[in-house]
Amino acid sequence: MRKQIFFAIGLLCFLSSFAQNYSTLAEQQARIQNIVKAYPQLATVSSMIKTNGGKDIWMITIGTGKTETKPAIAVVGGVEGNHLLGAELVIGFAENVLKASGTDSIKNLLQKTTYYLFPNMSPDASEQYFAKLKYERTGNATSTDDDRDGRLNEDPFDDLDGNGKITLMRIESPIGDYKLHPDDARALIKADPSKGEKGKYLLLSEGIDNDKDGLFNEDGEGGIAFNKNGTYKHKTFSPGAGDYPASEKETRALYDFLYDAFNVYAVISFGSNNNLSANDDKATSIVSDLYNKVSGLKDAPRTSVTGGDFLSWAYQHYGRYSFSTPGWWVPKSKPDTAKKEKAFTVEDPIANYLRWSAQQGITDVFTEWKTIVHPDFPNQKVEVGGVDPFVLINPPYKQVADLSKKHTEFLIKVAAFQPEVDLMNVKTESLANGLTRVSVDVVNKGALATHSKFADRNYFVKKIKVAVTVSDKQSLVGGKKILLLNNMEPSTKQSFSWIIKGKGKITIDAGCPTAGTKNIDISL
Amino acid sequence: MKKIFIYTIAFFASASAIQVHAQSPEQIFKASGTPANPKVIVTWNRYYDHGGITEICKKIAAAYPDLAKLQSIGKSYDGRDLWCLTITDFKKGIESNKPGMYIDGNIHSNEIQGAEFAMYTAWYLTEAFGDTKFIQELLADKVFYIIPSINPDARDSYMHKPNNSSSPRSGVKPIDNDGDGLVNEDNYDDLDGDSHITLMRRKNPNGRYKVDPRDPRNMIQVGPDEKGDYELLGIEGIDNDGDGKVNEDGYAFEYDPNRDWGWGWQPNYIQNGAYKYPFSIPENRAVMEFVMKHPNIAAAQSFHNAGGMILRGPGGAEDVGTYNAQDVAVYDAIAKKGEELMPGYKYLVVYKDLYSAYGGELDWFYAGRGIYTYSNELWTPYLMFMKESTRDPFDNTSYSFDRYLLFQDAFVPWKEYDHPQYGKIEIGGFKKNFGRAHPGFLLESDAHRNMAFSIYHCYHTPKLSVTSLVEKDLGDGLTEVTAVIANSRIMPTHSSQDVKNKIERPDYITLNTKATVVAGMLVENADLNLTTEQKNNPGVLAVNNIPGLGTVTLKWIVSGKGPFTITIDSKKGGVVEGGK
Repeated sequence: MRKQIFFAIGLLCFLSSFAQNYSTLAEQQARIQNIVKAYPQLATVSSMIKTNGGKDIWMITIGTGKTETKPAIAVVGGVEGNHLLGAELVIGFAENVLKASGTDSIKNLLQKTTYYLFPNMSPDASEQYFAKLKYERTGNATSTDDDRDGRLNEDPFDDLDGNGKITLMRIESPIGDYKLHPDDARALIKADPSKGEKGKYLLLSEGIDNDKDGLFNEDGEGGIAFNKNGTYKHKTFSPGAGDYPASEKETRALYDFLYDAFNVYAVISFGSNNNLSANDDKATSIVSDLYNKVSGLKDAPRTSVTGGDFLSWAYQHYGRYSFSTPGWWVPKSKPDTAKKEKAFTVEDPIANYLRWSAQQGITDVFTEWKTIVHPDFPNQKVEVGGVDPFVLINPPYKQVADLSKKHTEFLIKVAAFQPEVDLMNVKTESLANGLTRVSVDVVNKGALATHSKFADRNYFVKKIKVAVTVSDKQSLVGGKKILLLNNMEPSTKQSFSWIIKGKGKITIDAGCPTAGTKNIDISL
Repeated sequence: MKKIFIYTIAFFASASAIQVHAQSPEQIFKASGTPANPKVIVTWNRYYDHGGITEICKKIAAAYPDLAKLQSIGKSYDGRDLWCLTITDFKKGIESNKPGMYIDGNIHSNEIQGAEFAMYTAWYLTEAFGDTKFIQELLADKVFYIIPSINPDARDSYMHKPNNSSSPRSGVKPIDNDGDGLVNEDNYDDLDGDSHITLMRRKNPNGRYKVDPRDPRNMIQVGPDEKGDYELLGIEGIDNDGDGKVNEDGYAFEYDPNRDWGWGWQPNYIQNGAYKYPFSIPENRAVMEFVMKHPNIAAAQSFHNAGGMILRGPGGAEDVGTYNAQDVAVYDAIAKKGEELMPGYKYLVVYKDLYSAYGGELDWFYAGRGIYTYSNELWTPYLMFMKESTRDPFDNTSYSFDRYLLFQDAFVPWKEYDHPQYGKIEIGGFKKNFGRAHPGFLLESDAHRNMAFSIYHCYHTPKLSVTSLVEKDLGDGLTEVTAVIANSRIMPTHSSQDVKNKIERPDYITLNTKATVVAGMLVENADLNLTTEQKNNPGVLAVNNIPGLGTVTLKWIVSGKGPFTITIDSKKGGVVEGGK
């Protein structure tokens, strides 16, 4: 680890291309600072807040000139602390897009669009990947009484086989509900009593019932998980959610920034929730079509939001377009006929992963089941083993560069759909005696509506304002001085006209922060 | 405040050179139930701004150091202190080990009298302590946390800036209400410069209003076959930003601090008035943090106005199931007593009797923390003539009351004004201190009644004791110890919402002994010998709840002999030692 940090500091720019593993927090920070330092005209970085674990939440702004005046996309990683790929994709985007910023296309992109990047919302949790004891952690450093019994952290995981990883334990039991996978005995699947199947094993996470309450590992270090701490359908009192919504500093820091960033029209986050592979919403299916084409990812496992999640918050409460993808999942493996493998008789993610990883030449990701002596099951056979933590949701690191490239392409191309207000077909008609009728069409040239579905009546979404400014010597005889519109669908126009008495210049303004503002001077 | 204080000093300095801050005792004949010669003199027939509240709180704390401590629990958006008076008998027991009653007022800034009612409670408890046995016993057992105003910025804004009786409802953190990108660009305008925002009317041959023949100040709608001669133009103001709307974005309404709490919270497009997320208003965040740090708070009261209501949750129909029969029985028992103590006040449920509201303070206190909480809507038109009346500002009762009891002090007479947009209009109407705030002469009396309700509420927080501790020799050196723990008040140590969600930890009942505890169990039925053993740490039995007006029985098997004593450690029921 220390070697890598040294390496990062010593050989700034080369790190990402030569790294062999996911970045630690120190490495993430070094990469962020290096890329921002290299492109000071286009990028800034700041720490929004420190978590209860003392870790910085970084925010990178990428854009040209007055970035807050341009429609913006927020990109969020580390939505779940066990999903290390997320931070890689966000930092990778910053590196890729800035390195390409000499090209005309990127120059034009950054003239028109601002990116707010939040690489890692779960820095307390993601460090567990690099810790002495590896387990998939999503909770931050806030101390929590997960089972709400008044005693803190009294029943954590226990590394029973001493391999530094928390896997599973299977206990032979007449009341067991799991059985061995028929095609790969390393994997266990649920027995289906309706098919007359009988289970043979109890399947639990690796550990001891330290507090003798009949539950295993129900109150370890815990913490609050960012993707459970949100205000939309928050599961108050459930483990990892918090006693009330947005209880955590990092949640509030992100909300506070975004609520005041009126120019953000879309939020794209990386985590277990997926609405980019399939999208029923007509308004946004162009975005998922683009994602599937650019990423080339297929056969996405179904996901469902669980409440308190960030994807739902950004859409339902923040009132913006919100997209989320895991960025990678274990591909569907095919039987290797050379090895006389057959298609699985039962679909199972573990069996699939074991076959796929073997075909990829990935080794050392499975701990063979090994019998141990367990104090809570003195007369039963208990074995510890299973697939390593993290590997089912994070690709082998050598694939990250390519994934990063594809997601960069997606994040660049999606900006082409940006809503854009413009003024067209300006017409002046002289009525009589210095009286002029001025007509104009306000159009949304973009492929997305100026406002998403839940933007109406939201304090934190600004409406489209159409305003006419006349001089002291002129007067507005007909029409409204200021008009506020809730939304404009893509490729639509609305026509306005005013009757003005007097000569000279008038100005018409139209726009909103999410779709840009245009103005036009007319001489009467 | 300062003026009256100086006046008091000057007046009594001549009567007695020593007693400068109290009447000389020989001049006073005690009226029953009221501190006759208080150390802290407060005039309870008027209102105090934040400076006034600060001074009164400081005086109470200085006069009664063994009964009152003053702390600031945080700062408001504009940096005012949120004052909290902790009232208990500090000489008896530890504050955090006593069941607590939380009281606040003024969450809505125009609903001012909650602060006076809360302060009156603190004042009364300290001043009456010396000669009232009931108060002495109450403060030995219980602790009050009293925060007169949890919205001091906008309280001052209400009093010192132009407003009507309903504005501002919110705090002062600015909001772009109309989504045009500008903040507070079109507020009320105090056109006649009297600091009261009243109404605008205009003579109009096609108008549908006329002057009320019973009181010419009142406007009434004309019938279908009648001709009117006035139109009403709404609340005093101008279209400042030229968008065709009058008074649509100003300090009078920014957000609603009572839609900012962490239970059932909804964003502002669903729940008008909600801000960014629960506790995104700094004053509420300070209260939440205070409550989280004081798990002994078992009961709470929040003062609003108006209408004469004792409200309980739920705020939204979705939450009906949260309030189960057991908890409703507790709420009913206390609130029905409240209806008796406060004539004109009705016990109601927010979502069905008032309106649905998400993210309200009382919902978080109850559903989020398991605290039995009421919101009282102070002041009821019933108090005007001691009979049912409406809240309608055009109701003739209000005009009669103002005429015969307030001598027209509550009304700004209609007066002509040349309006830049409406032309010749008239401005007039009730002042901001009428309609929602108590008139002076009724303030102290209603404060006392509401305090009596809070005291009853607090009295019925749990009171735990060990009522029986029986030893039985089992032979072979073994002793069976059975303890009965009683709760003699209405509230359980855990509301059913608390038990269901394990909000607060269980009550711990410890058998104190030098002998070895072999086994410990909860006794469900002593007669039929039904027990549940606690295998881990049997010396300290965890009990999920000690019911109101009920008991729990516990049994230990001990290797050895006594003496045995019991410690009850309950977050909301207090810490009590018992046994021999």
